[in-house]
Amino acid sequence: MEKFSYIGKDMKRIDTACKATGEAVFAADLVLPRMLVGKILRSPHAHAQIVAIDPSKAEKLPGVKAVVTAKDTCGDKWGVFKYTQDQQFLPTEKVRYVGEEVAAVAAVDEDTALEALSLIDVTYEVLPAVYTIEDALAPGAPQLHDVYPNNINVHVVIDVGDVEKGFTNSYLVREDTFTAPEDSYFQGEPYAVAAQFDHAGNLEIWMPNAGPHMKAKPLSNVLKTPLNKVRVRKITIGGAFGGRSEISPADVICAFLAKKAQRPVKIVYSREENTVCTRQAHSMITKIKTGFDREGRVVARDITCHMDGGAYSSTGPIAVSVPFLCMEQAYRMENVRYNGYRVLTNKPIRGMFRTHGRAFACGIDIQLDMIGEAMGIDPLTMRLRNARQTGDYTPTKSYVASCGLTETIEKTGKMSRWTEKFGKLPPYHGIGIGCNSVQTGFPMGIRGGSQAFIKLNEDGGVTVITGIVDNGQGNDHMIVQIAAEELGLTPDDVQLITADTEVTPSDPGSYSMCETFIGGNAVRLAAQDVKKKLFRIVAAEFGVGEEELSARNRKIFVTNNPQQTMSIAKAVRIALSRNESISGEGSYWPKVDAKREWVKNPYGQLSETFSFGTVICEVKVDPETGQVKVMEVTASQDVGYALNPKVIEGQFEGGVAMGGQGGMLTEYLQWHEGRVLTPTQLGYLVPLAIDMPKINTIIVETIDPKGPYGAKEAGMSVAMSAAQAYCGAISNALGVYFHEYPITPDKILKAIEEKKKRDREG
Amino acid sequence: MNEMKKTAITLNVNNETYDIVAYPNRTLLEVIRDDLHLTGTKESCGQGVCGSCTVLVDGTPVRSCLTLAVAVQGKEITTIEGISLGEKLHPVQEAFVNHHAIQCGFCSPGMILTSYALLKENPRPTEAAIRRAISGNICRCTGYAKIVEAVKSLAEEEK
Amino acid sequence: MRLPPFQYLEPATVEEALSIIGTHKETVKIMAGGTDLLNRMKLRLIEPAFVMNISKLRNMDGIDIGDTETVIGANTRLKEIAGAPLVNKRFRAIAEAAFQVASPTITNMATIGGNILQNTRCMYYDQSGIVLNGLERCHKRGGILCLAVKGSKRCFSVYQGDMAPALRAFDARCVLEKKGSTRTVSITELFTGNGVTPFAIGADELLTKIIIPKPEGICGSAYRKLRLRGSVDYPLASAAAFVSVTDDRKVTTCRVVIGAAGAAPKVIDGASCEADLEGIAQKAYEHAEGVDNLLMPGAYRRKMVSVLAKRAIKAAIDGIKEGM
Repeated sequence: MEKFSYIGKDMKRIDTACKATGEAVFAADLVLPRMLVGKILRSPHAHAQIVAIDPSKAEKLPGVKAVVTAKDTCGDKWGVFKYTQDQQFLPTEKVRYVGEEVAAVAAVDEDTALEALSLIDVTYEVLPAVYTIEDALAPGAPQLHDVYPNNINVHVVIDVGDVEKGFTNSYLVREDTFTAPEDSYFQGEPYAVAAQFDHAGNLEIWMPNAGPHMKAKPLSNVLKTPLNKVRVRKITIGGAFGGRSEISPADVICAFLAKKAQRPVKIVYSREENTVCTRQAHSMITKIKTGFDREGRVVARDITCHMDGGAYSSTGPIAVSVPFLCMEQAYRMENVRYNGYRVLTNKPIRGMFRTHGRAFACGIDIQLDMIGEAMGIDPLTMRLRNARQTGDYTPTKSYVASCGLTETIEKTGKMSRWTEKFGKLPPYHGIGIGCNSVQTGFPMGIRGGSQAFIKLNEDGGVTVITGIVDNGQGNDHMIVQIAAEELGLTPDDVQLITADTEVTPSDPGSYSMCETFIGGNAVRLAAQDVKKKLFRIVAAEFGVGEEELSARNRKIFVTNNPQQTMSIAKAVRIALSRNESISGEGSYWPKVDAKREWVKNPYGQLSETFSFGTVICEVKVDPETGQVKVMEVTASQDVGYALNPKVIEGQFEGGVAMGGQGGMLTEYLQWHEGRVLTPTQLGYLVPLAIDMPKINTIIVETIDPKGPYGAKEAGMSVAMSAAQAYCGAISNALGVYFHEYPITPDKILKAIEEKKKRDREG
Repeated sequence: MNEMKKTAITLNVNNETYDIVAYPNRTLLEVIRDDLHLTGTKESCGQGVCGSCTVLVDGTPVRSCLTLAVAVQGKEITTIEGISLGEKLHPVQEAFVNHHAIQCGFCSPGMILTSYALLKENPRPTEAAIRRAISGNICRCTGYAKIVEAVKSLAEEEK
Repeated sequence: MRLPPFQYLEPATVEEALSIIGTHKETVKIMAGGTDLLNRMKLRLIEPAFVMNISKLRNMDGIDIGDTETVIGANTRLKEIAGAPLVNKRFRAIAEAAFQVASPTITNMATIGGNILQNTRCMYYDQSGIVLNGLERCHKRGGILCLAVKGSKRCFSVYQGDMAPALRAFDARCVLEKKGSTRTVSITELFTGNGVTPFAIGADELLTKIIIPKPEGICGSAYRKLRLRGSVDYPLASAAAFVSVTDDRKVTTCRVVIGAAGAAPKVIDGASCEADLEGIAQKAYEHAEGVDNLLMPGAYRRKMVSVLAKRAIKAAIDGIKEGM
């Protein structure tokens, strides 16, 4: 491997000093001249006909500058996909969940806005509602949308090989059902959006997002304004975790208020609104039937999953597919059938979440443990025997160009001293393992590629212009690292203009782990474009071949004769003095199967590469209280290449906290019918510093053939492997396999009591 | 609706005196952010649970979202904007940056101030003491690992 | 989240404070640390006309450890109580309780008086409009039904204060002052046992001091609290134990007070002088009330009250042994 100045180094991020000082501006921090406070009126009913909305009293309240209702919109329905267009941003006919937007006001201060909300008269006719998957599917159940019979809005079918034959040929077959209620994002930053129009009808809007270009198009559609007049601006974002991808009604509402009031408007969500009125993660019931051969290899698998999607589609087709796809990437399974159903209920809307379906992932993995026990094969060996390998094709026909899963299993096993511990720990002390995988993007049609521009200054500094989004994970820094490295500059020489739809070219956005692979590649190519042009100039000046040159420390030099050097600034000025403009452009479109579609054709190359990983977790259970003390966690991922190891470790550690510690021990939404009873951090328990265990991290590098410097992504699936490992560890500690998550102390106590009873009777 | 009159409030924030006129039901958090335009202090829950609103009052960490502005007149209030040393970062801020203890940054001001106050009270805290001190500061990104490393590095430096 | 409007009062002396509440009674809500009151006001559970800040009152904070009794001012911050060496030595359960309230920063603000007088809680009550709008009012909100227990004619909200059970274990008494008179009551007498109006305190009364009598004999104590995380959270079950022995190690008192098990802390009386752990645990379970209105199911919480009662007693006894 070549020696790098910045790539592969633990350099401190370029964007964290301003976060340490409090200078970084998040959407709620924005102050615009004459800005108004926006507030949204929400439905108190889970399912109701809107009979009438009378905003007149609110409009007359002094200090109120605009009130919007569905009447102010065209009533068009929007959807992430053409076949999921079911959501109006202000409903015209009925509300479908408690918390749904009904009207909004913009006023001179918050108190006036709140008072105005209370003056809007809405007459509802309450309709019967459904709150569970079972109720929604029952014959005669109230239908949420006319277009989705039986309240099923997505049905993904994948059928590969011959599953029935596979079961017949299996040595052992198991069927189990796994369930988990909703998890929730709880990003640090509650949602906020600020918008203003100028007199030419140009919109400027700021909100936390995972892809400004993904926000701009629906805004353009609903406002009937061309894209060049819809500017989604860059803003510091306080976390996304999969929850800020699509357009939000708040975005549209804020724009409408700003337009009507002819003044900037800012809407800041409370924590409760962030939990209830943005997105949540799906609750799931996953039935998994798996057939194994005598060596514990999976011969056939049949999975049926019902997911509670809430009241509208959101990213339904993706959310239904990804839990399956992650598992089919991670493990070999020749014969597999998947039926994924997204069921609509009168609950808040569900989308994709970092821990893509704990019931799904933990179910697959814990079955490996159960079968392993029946056959005398330990869980780690079960993973090794079923692990994906380089050069494989997944069941849905994605070629796997690089895969270090086996290496992650072996290394994690070694560091956690698996063979010393498994089966040898005292009662109530257990160890567990989980493996998973994540894709780096998926077919996104015209939005699947990224383009970057580089502008040069006459003193050699540059500005990189790219649509890459940073939700806090360090993508901005990645751009600087790549650009500085390729151009031979220092990080200080690189300025960024990112994630601004007026200026930056299209980029898929920071979900499904594609920024490093797609965005990073585009930046690298743009930098190489600049370098080529500068090398041409210097080569001519020095009378050498371009291939003989290198760039480092702001200089271009002959590699084998470093004394022969020219500053980059000088090379730039030479170009300019010849009246030649100099800049760079690069774009990257991953080679995915453009015909692959979530529902209509779920086969073909899903993404150009995949990353893989393993987590092992060790726990002690208090048998009197059912509480779990996590002793140690080891997390490993094949990230292709670590562009910045410390940044990647941070992703692993965060993933362990969210998917494992929170996802398996304490995180779930509790309900009263369609109402969230745990909308704040007091009710929904995310992990605290005092509870986190020691986390070891192991970065595995397989040097992907296509990723920038071999890099793939930064370990998103650690959240899933961690969930699986925690589940396995607790199950191992108790000698009971858990099917319901999270594994809260009451469930543990119950399992202990039931096991004691069985042991006595057995 | 209860009657309220705006009242003159004088606050000492980051060694500067601010005279504002506000309703008594304004929290210190609201006044800091909206009247003084110091937006480093954040609201992530509004209930005193998450720690993002932490400021120091006479050196002690408190929840500014549960503090009335009118009640802290005459006290020395320190926000995140107040601990840098001119253009230089304070060692606590520096450690957070160097140890990758900041990802999205939303919890960071509260986390840094809490750590700053801890180290003033206990210059050589154990890891357990650090984890306990920041147990009321919720971070969704980092899993806390590098935050603890950052604070630990300062504890060792004192030696 | 915005606070509702109110008039702010900041008396400088106890006399002034008593005069205010004597005049304005229920329309005044008292604010010490603010961590409980302001939360409730943001949720619009209460919207008082007046908020009276008592944190500036003179002579209402401090720990005075005397020969026959210890007096803790109601405004004493929990952090001070948790860290006071003599409180840790002589009234360990009280120090442990203060240490475990919420999170460290909250204990910088919260006072012992405020913690004792916190309202009872329930998942169906402590919510804002986004959750409750459209639902019928429950008993605690002046309605006629219970959302947690279908058909219940009474309120099942839970008292989750940490200090009260520990104080009760030491037979602490509370000084309530009003204009013209003072009365002193036991912790038990402070509570009505009723979830809708948990406290038997007049709207014109102010809690000013907590008096802890010097315990007889050699004693040990402990406070154990169950929560899913190691900080921040209210107790889902709790138990304070006080054990005292004679010089020759004969148990003279074994008192357990359970918390988060009803609308008031409960003393498990009739506790055997021989410290029969299983018997006490069983009694604790029987006395504990638990329905599904907090984060963990009621049945689980009742069992945990029983487990914590045993653990608190064991820890109290260990404390005695260490000291001997």
